[in-house]
Amino acid sequence: MGSCLLSPKPGLTIRMATDLPLLRLLQLASPGLPVGMYSYSQGLEKAVDDGLVIDAASAGAWIGAVLQRSVANVDLPVLARLYAAWERNDGRAADDWSSLLLSCRESAELRAEDRQTGLALQRLLAALGIGEEIKPPGGTVTWAGLFALAALRLGVAQREALLGYAWSWLENQVLCAVKLVPLGQVAGQQLLLNLAEEIPSAVDCALRIEDERIGGGVFGLALASSRHEMQYSRLFRS
Amino acid sequence: MLLDPDGAGPLHPGHARQNQRPGWEAELHLGFSRRQDKTVLVERRHRGPLAVQRPFYPGDGVCHVYLLHPPGGMVAGDRLEIEAMLAEGSEALLTTPAAGKCYRSEARIAEQSVRLTVGNRAALEWLPQETIVYRGARLRSEMRIELDDAARFIGWDMLVFGRPSAGESFDDGFVEAGWRLFKAGRPIHTERVLLDAEAVQANWGLQGRSSCGTLFATPASRKTLDIVRELIGEAPGRGVTLIDEVLVCRAVEARADRLRGFFQAVWAALRPEVLQRADVPPRIWAY
Repeated sequence: MGSCLLSPKPGLTIRMATDLPLLRLLQLASPGLPVGMYSYSQGLEKAVDDGLVIDAASAGAWIGAVLQRSVANVDLPVLARLYAAWERNDGRAADDWSSLLLSCRESAELRAEDRQTGLALQRLLAALGIGEEIKPPGGTVTWAGLFALAALRLGVAQREALLGYAWSWLENQVLCAVKLVPLGQVAGQQLLLNLAEEIPSAVDCALRIEDERIGGGVFGLALASSRHEMQYSRLFRS
Repeated sequence: MLLDPDGAGPLHPGHARQNQRPGWEAELHLGFSRRQDKTVLVERRHRGPLAVQRPFYPGDGVCHVYLLHPPGGMVAGDRLEIEAMLAEGSEALLTTPAAGKCYRSEARIAEQSVRLTVGNRAALEWLPQETIVYRGARLRSEMRIELDDAARFIGWDMLVFGRPSAGESFDDGFVEAGWRLFKAGRPIHTERVLLDAEAVQANWGLQGRSSCGTLFATPASRKTLDIVRELIGEAPGRGVTLIDEVLVCRAVEARADRLRGFFQAVWAALRPEVLQRADVPPRIWAY
């Protein structure tokens, strides 16, 4: 009896059209993507140091607030517009949205994180021969800008790109909390189960929001991130 | 809870459309120009209860102006609009003689919109006293700062939630505080923070402290950053960052007077660096 793969059945090409984008999204959203995401905690390291995040409940409250008040109102709406801009090959618009995104970052570290992870993904895509023909004309590189370009070139639909971006952000934050608080692996997975339930509505919110209403922040995150820059001993770059 | 993307406000969708009576609308437009060695208030137009006192000069050519809001506080449906334009080379300091107040309102919101335009080699200080946000108040505040390439700016926003000394905590209401800074038309800093009852209490918000503030200064250097870091030392609840050329200092405090004292100290340390001016405080701060 031959293996399943060696005897393709009718309908495989149709399934390929939907299966492959999902697999591409899993690759793009994976913590294994070599862009160094694991080295950024986005202020969580200082929040733990300051005693503001001390257990699974306070970690969940912190990450949930950032998801709802910042990611849903800044990253995801801008990501949707970046995707649309790349879709029409409008590098100028992509550059403007990346500039706006950077201007929303509350500290030097958070802005540097966006630029560095964006540049890492840009180099990776170029090495893979994906999307290197488009460079933002103003040279403004952000993680979201390159994520949107990669998703588009790999055939991932816009909404799925937003879901994947949010998931990738959430998983990284929870992994940081697991290391820093520290939390048990089961507690970390429980946080992911709980917080992921908020992602679809965050994506809905991002797809509805008007341009001029984009912007949002979490006071404690902004404060923790700027305090992290002064933290004497630290493991993370943000 | 997600911010409401439809634009009606974060907590009560639709309340912007529930206005039965218009609130007090007030507008103030100011224009400053440089005449020889001092800055003159060349334009002063107002509509409704917003005014300025006669400008005065504590000695360094900078035009000091006090903004007055005679009703003494904002309520639901009020809308204040303040605009100041500084022409090339002019220098002005705007402050207020008393804390602002925003009172409880049933669903509608009060709105404050400030637009500051700072021309080439001009310098503006926007240093109002704190705003006391009463329990149940709903305020949307928008600051838009447009800077020329060689403009200088120091500005702050201090908010006090509830009246902790009167035992009134902030368990209802919100402030949506937005800051947008542009340099030569490009966005250099964008902030929109929803400070509601949940954010005031939460560890990711004000950590149960009743007051918070944000201070911006530009152009700032690494040296300026180090001066403010030194001032903060090991103090909890205070942070500073230098994002490109914009210095942003943030603080949470249990007491408004301590927050004010801290920001005044930061201002005094920044003024010689950012504006090349001595740290002479406005007389009205001597309380």
